[in-house]
Amino acid sequence: MIEMLWIKNGIVVDPKNGIDAERMDIFVKDGRIVSENEVRKEDCRVIDASNRLVVAGGVDMHAHIAGSKINVGRTMRPEEMRVVRQTAGKLRASMGRVLLTSPAIGYEYARMGYTTAVEAATPPIGAPHTHEELDSIPVVDKASLTVFGNWHPVFKYAAEKDGEKMRAFIAWALERTKGFGVKVVNPGGVEAWMYGGNVRNLEDEVPKWGVTPKEIITELVNANEELNLPHSVHLHCNNLGVPGNYQTTVETIKLVSGIKNKSRQVLHITHVQFNAYAGSSWRDVASGAAEIAKVVNSMDNVTIDMGQAIFGHATAMTSDAPFQFTLHKLTGSRWVNKDTEIEGGAGIVPITYMPRNPVHALQWAIGLELGLLVDSDKVVLSTDYPNGGPYTEYPYVMAILMSKKMREKELERVSPYVQKATSLPAIDVERTLYEVIEMTRSLPARVMGLDSKGHLGIGADADIAIYNLNPDDLDPSSQYDAVNREFRVPAYTIKDGDIIVRDGTLLKETWGKTYWADARKKVNPESIDSDLDDFFTNYYTVERKNYGVAEYWMRKPERLEVK
Amino acid sequence: MLILKPRFSFDVSVEAEITPELATKSLEEIKSFKVWYGKFEKNLDELFEISKKGDEKKLILDGNLSKVKWVGMGMDDGEIIVNGDIGANCGAFMRGGKIVIEGNADDWLGAEMKGGEIAVRGNARNLIGCAYYGNTTGMQDGKITIEGNAGNYIGEKMAGGIIEIKGSAGDFIGTEMKGGEIIIHGNCGFVGGDMKSGVIKIGGRFDLLPTFRKAEDEWTGDVLVGGEGKIVKI
Repeated sequence: MIEMLWIKNGIVVDPKNGIDAERMDIFVKDGRIVSENEVRKEDCRVIDASNRLVVAGGVDMHAHIAGSKINVGRTMRPEEMRVVRQTAGKLRASMGRVLLTSPAIGYEYARMGYTTAVEAATPPIGAPHTHEELDSIPVVDKASLTVFGNWHPVFKYAAEKDGEKMRAFIAWALERTKGFGVKVVNPGGVEAWMYGGNVRNLEDEVPKWGVTPKEIITELVNANEELNLPHSVHLHCNNLGVPGNYQTTVETIKLVSGIKNKSRQVLHITHVQFNAYAGSSWRDVASGAAEIAKVVNSMDNVTIDMGQAIFGHATAMTSDAPFQFTLHKLTGSRWVNKDTEIEGGAGIVPITYMPRNPVHALQWAIGLELGLLVDSDKVVLSTDYPNGGPYTEYPYVMAILMSKKMREKELERVSPYVQKATSLPAIDVERTLYEVIEMTRSLPARVMGLDSKGHLGIGADADIAIYNLNPDDLDPSSQYDAVNREFRVPAYTIKDGDIIVRDGTLLKETWGKTYWADARKKVNPESIDSDLDDFFTNYYTVERKNYGVAEYWMRKPERLEVK
Repeated sequence: MLILKPRFSFDVSVEAEITPELATKSLEEIKSFKVWYGKFEKNLDELFEISKKGDEKKLILDGNLSKVKWVGMGMDDGEIIVNGDIGANCGAFMRGGKIVIEGNADDWLGAEMKGGEIAVRGNARNLIGCAYYGNTTGMQDGKITIEGNAGNYIGEKMAGGIIEIKGSAGDFIGTEMKGGEIIIHGNCGFVGGDMKSGVIKIGGRFDLLPTFRKAEDEWTGDVLVGGEGKIVKI
């Protein structure tokens, strides 16, 4: 029997419901948050949250946690597997320095008070593997975003401007891959990489298709909005990691001006830190974060996430195969290239961010600039795990966004290059606790279109984190060490009304749901039937009937029917 | 000085990170020093007969130790004498002192060592002075001498120090080498692939990739990575 909980006297911060550090009780029944009169108090398990911060469980809306990329990363980086976090006992063994094993991923999220995580890029043909791995990640709820931006049928329908077929294709593909949303990575660029090239701007034609990144993005956004999927198009921009690329990012954002959706953004630009470079080469590279922030703040239909770089070990892994090759040439580090047939590609390169390296310090500073300059209801906290660094360092990012003193201290140890190349030293903004909770809870849930996540209102999932921080006498500006420490060790992590973590220690293992979006009722599937047969017969290594993931293979599928 | 003898013939690997430092501890501490026998944690005393003679930083291992791994790992000073064969990872990460192996050595001898000396009277197997998989730098300083033959992968990613093999060796000598010296008096297989710097001296026959520039009795490469390493015939 799932017990009822009475979380007593906590200090609640719940930005979605406008609650800022109010002392109140929260009641949980059957895995949901309910009103006081729905529980019998004498049957409740009481959790004393006096003088503690009570917030919704964290939502990581962009991390690479399952599928072929992280697994190839693990294979190519045996040195990552030498850190043993926990030996097998009541729970499973968990290992990894930054690249964690599947059990470790779930455990470490829960240990930090995070209860939802989204795999940010699933190559469609790799969906069976992705779901196998998602099914091995304990505790957290999950979803995966299917990569569309370099898929041949997408090129075809974008070139033909055939919205009906594009919508039918998206609905078909999300069902087959059990995906939650439309991810786009370097649209057109990965196809050009099949010929050894890349696309350089939004008007560059994709070889042999005559379609441009601009058309791919706009057609996908239009189709996504007409389908009204829970999540918007989730875009990794062209020219990632190239000095001067902030202009491409700004142009891309402007593509959607005028497109509206009343409940969420119509375009989410991800790990913007990697797409916010000014300058013309690595010698004169500088921050373009301020310009991007200005544009994002001026629009009400675009959100971003930071892609913060964390000093230390990381592994760059994206579906942006040409960028990964550039990175390999730049750093001389190991490189794996992956090809996913007519759907795109991927690459993996180990990287270590070093404070004294001017470029790495710049990346660190740009991430923070974005987190400070963009409105807190438009920028989500992320490290693009494991590209920018481990998600286990989110507390560090939270603390440093809240404290100028902490930034000044950190600036002393990083390359002085950031002093002239970024505006970070001059930024006085200190995020409030409310804003940081927004950037890690309510906003990512809203961006993903997960209504029952990221807040503590009646009916929300009982995913709750309680921290040993008292907002009433906490001054994050000077007590940044406490913030950085306590957000790593929740007093409680509650998932679906179950107490999973107590004082940073895992008590048990549960299994979260995997959300997927079903839009099939909104389209005419027959319209693309012959095209699909044609693609599979002529170009795929698998037959159409063997392609994709059946719902009954999944541990706990949660179908969201798109209305 | 400490003398260790196996109490029985080991069926599975023993992981014993013992260094000469251990000889300075009290007998009680030495007896309860933790080692692994397969998946079981044991006291040193359960696996070895221990006799201690004074506090000199010296370790003598008698008998068949071919399944005993990690001996001398990370040692700073003192001496280890192995009267027999030794298991894998002997002298890995060592920074100083000396290890003498009267018998044969297994894989990963002196891997990533930073100083000190290892002498093997018999043969050694693969991966001498290499970097562990995934790591970027192998042996950085010190000296490894093998009187007999050695296996494959010698001094991969090595950045300093000397590896001398009196007999012959296998394939892949000094791959991705960044510095230091490898001397092989006998024959060997492919040498110097992707080497950036350092010297490999060979007395006998050897195989060379086409990516080396030839001068008289000397080759420079690997051109593929813009390397300036030297292969020298002695």
